[in-house]
Amino acid sequence: MSIVCVLLLRFALTMAAGEREALLREPAALAPEPGREQMIGEVSLAAEAFGVRAGMRLGEALARCPQLALVPPDPMGVADAWERIMARLESIGAAVESEREGLACFDAAGLRRLHGGTLDATLAATRRALGRPARLGAGPSRFTALAAAHRARVRRPEVIAGDAAAALAGEPVSLLRLRSVTSALPEPLERLGITTLGAVAALGRAHLADRFGPAGLAAHDLVRGRDESPLRPRSAGETLAEALELPEAGSGEQLERALGLLVDRLLARRELRGRTLRAVAIAARLVEGGTWRERVVFREALADPVRMRLALGRRIGLLPAPAEVLRLSVERFGPASGDQRPLLEDSAAHRAARLREAIRQARAAAGPEAALRVLEVDPGSRVPERRMVLTPFEP
Amino acid sequence: MSGPRRLGEPRRARVRADARGRPLSIDGRAVEAVRESWLVEDRWWTQQPLRRRYWEVVTADGRDVVVFRELISGGWFSQRG
Repeated sequence: MSIVCVLLLRFALTMAAGEREALLREPAALAPEPGREQMIGEVSLAAEAFGVRAGMRLGEALARCPQLALVPPDPMGVADAWERIMARLESIGAAVESEREGLACFDAAGLRRLHGGTLDATLAATRRALGRPARLGAGPSRFTALAAAHRARVRRPEVIAGDAAAALAGEPVSLLRLRSVTSALPEPLERLGITTLGAVAALGRAHLADRFGPAGLAAHDLVRGRDESPLRPRSAGETLAEALELPEAGSGEQLERALGLLVDRLLARRELRGRTLRAVAIAARLVEGGTWRERVVFREALADPVRMRLALGRRIGLLPAPAEVLRLSVERFGPASGDQRPLLEDSAAHRAARLREAIRQARAAAGPEAALRVLEVDPGSRVPERRMVLTPFEP
Repeated sequence: MSGPRRLGEPRRARVRADARGRPLSIDGRAVEAVRESWLVEDRWWTQQPLRRRYWEVVTADGRDVVVFRELISGGWFSQRG
């Protein structure tokens, strides 16, 4: 098995900076998204030299580097650009897994015969498809491919073959940040003076498990070249989106109406072919600059505009500023027929049993007074306290 | 909950009234207007008769409040219902 990794370092920062490339040569970082936790996003190389890291609190980052330039995040633009790159990779036949924007992996085994029969030819086809500078790496597992891509130069792919543990030994521990399960380990390891993956492997499995628990065990496997978890490629699908320009910056009720319109337009698209929607993304270009994006996964696959509006209405309330463009796109389709309701109504006995169970659970959670009912004792009494009593509800 | 609990039980209230028993302030809020007043007499045939003078008033902060004076044992109470 040979996994190919495509790595575009600082992808979100580069996209957000746009044409202001000069920014990236100076200490710069992605500003925290409005309304979210005050942590910075990706940082430029110059900022890294000051000890500023992605995920650091804004206050600490500014304390370490007072001249740090904050670039407003552009999650909508980043998602669009990354979607185009994923589509290009899928166009060469790759089943691509992507944990985050800027990082994609796929298994090259099934592609070789399509592209000349060798790994080098597959890597060349990948580079042609991307049409932009990217670091390419290949290895027997996902983590080794990742390490190879990290080591690669933009014009020269790196391939790790043979003894993966030996090939990884000299790599920095910061590579563990690239896998979510071990992302928190590099900082304490560096503080303990452990700077290479070889040194991590030398610690031994038991010591790593004692100190870091499951993350330590995962790290031990990774540094020895074992990354057993299979790739989970996305199913390549069509993109379906509707956008609406709001001539007067929209917020509140106007935004809700615009959202309703977008839902109706999306559901009316012929490409939907009667399918339900499982997950969608709402994105907005904000009047004061920057963008906002929120992914919404429905509790069940939906095709009902009213329920969809209800679910999305709450999210639109999180919009940090008035929007000038609102867009709704399909992230994942559901089955052609959603939740199958029973043809005939439940019998009364069945409903009563469900109600009894619900009350039992409510009382178990909130005490015996969780379900009461008002009982009229003497509704015509002139003395108000004699008219009604509260009594336990028994279905 | 051991058994049924009455709804609308009277609660003791701090009421300042004039000489004729008309409320002037309730729990520190001045009474703006009296909407209605009525007398309730009940259970006069028992050992525990009930005699109340009810007042429905509007306070200066716009609340509609119902209070009554217990005419046998004394004391002011507010009541919903």
